Amino acid sequence: MTRRFAATVAVLAIAAGSTSFGQSKAPVPEPRNLTGVWEPLRGGPGAPAPPPPSPITLKPPYAAAWQARRAAQDEATKKGEPLATLGSECMPYGMPTMMAVANYPMEILQTPGQVTVVTEVHSEVRRVFLDRPQLKTDEVPPGYYGRSVGRWDGDTLVIETIGIAPQVAGYQSLPHSPELRITERLTLTTPDVLQDQIMLDDPVVLDKPVTYTLAYRRLPKYEMVEFVCDNNREYTDEKGVVRMKVLDK
Amino acid sequence: MRSLSTQPVARLLSVAAVILLVGRPVAGHHSFAMFDSVNKTTITGTVTRFEWTNPHVFIEVDVPGANGQVKHWSVELGSPSILQRSGWKFSDVKPGEKITAIVNPLRDGRPGGMLYRLTLADGSMRGNGTAPPPDPVTR
Repeated sequence: MTRRFAATVAVLAIAAGSTSFGQSKAPVPEPRNLTGVWEPLRGGPGAPAPPPPSPITLKPPYAAAWQARRAAQDEATKKGEPLATLGSECMPYGMPTMMAVANYPMEILQTPGQVTVVTEVHSEVRRVFLDRPQLKTDEVPPGYYGRSVGRWDGDTLVIETIGIAPQVAGYQSLPHSPELRITERLTLTTPDVLQDQIMLDDPVVLDKPVTYTLAYRRLPKYEMVEFVCDNNREYTDEKGVVRMKVLDK
Repeated sequence: MRSLSTQPVARLLSVAAVILLVGRPVAGHHSFAMFDSVNKTTITGTVTRFEWTNPHVFIEVDVPGANGQVKHWSVELGSPSILQRSGWKFSDVKPGEKITAIVNPLRDGRPGGMLYRLTLADGSMRGNGTAPPPDPVTR
């Protein structure tokens, strides 16, 4: 192939890559397409800086107990005797903790009328029913994931969740009442970065809603793996401390 | 494959990643506070069992002592998910294999620890969810 011919082929190839309107055929970002695997993004090169979390203020009956609990956790951790958690006992994380556990990925699947979130750690599943009315808080049986309904507000998926059981671990170890309402706003800030702004509104426990934002990076080729917690060698001793089981052979 | 010694920045970054993962107050299976985050212990011995399981992978090792008595150690690693993302395979360690493990030992004195770096019988190294980290700093 002569140089002139090669140059002609190259020009034709470039032309073929354009539409009849002269625009590039580069993939159009789909701001409402969240389907894919995502991993928590916490800083690092190129990571966006999500807004800082809002301050946490609890109503008086709950504030003292929450502060005492956190102080006990800190003291135990300092001594090298961390207190057991639902996580250390291989129980589900539930909402909202499941939305970011260490750097484990999660998969989002969009199907007609539903968005499904499957986490890798503990294989937890939550289903978000689109464009359906939410029930009253006393109509939803308490559970780890509650009942979630969602709708699109522009290019932001807004999800509202109620029905989180009292024993489910809260953000920053916060307690919650049956009135807890979690509102999430999921937005693609770039085609490969997703942000989830989470607002916890609990008029019984919180002075005012608490808001924090999680970020995720898309993992295009990642294959989610199974995670069945069937060999938990961390156990809880009589003092409530989590310890590792050491074998003798 | 490039020698690790040609990638000092990558090595430092991997250490930073470990520190970030351990030191950051994010939700995880359990706190790492039960392990000594500063001091490390090196054990060399024979693998008796390799558990590629959740929530953690474990390597069981018989470690011969100076007096000829064998002391058994349990070494905890991350989960299979975390490890395989950093290049591990479920078949990387075999019972009967001689290994050297640098661990952050349990603070309660029992013979167990969290893996820092593993050296397999063929001389290849593995990190614990990161690239193999550099030799620990002697304090």
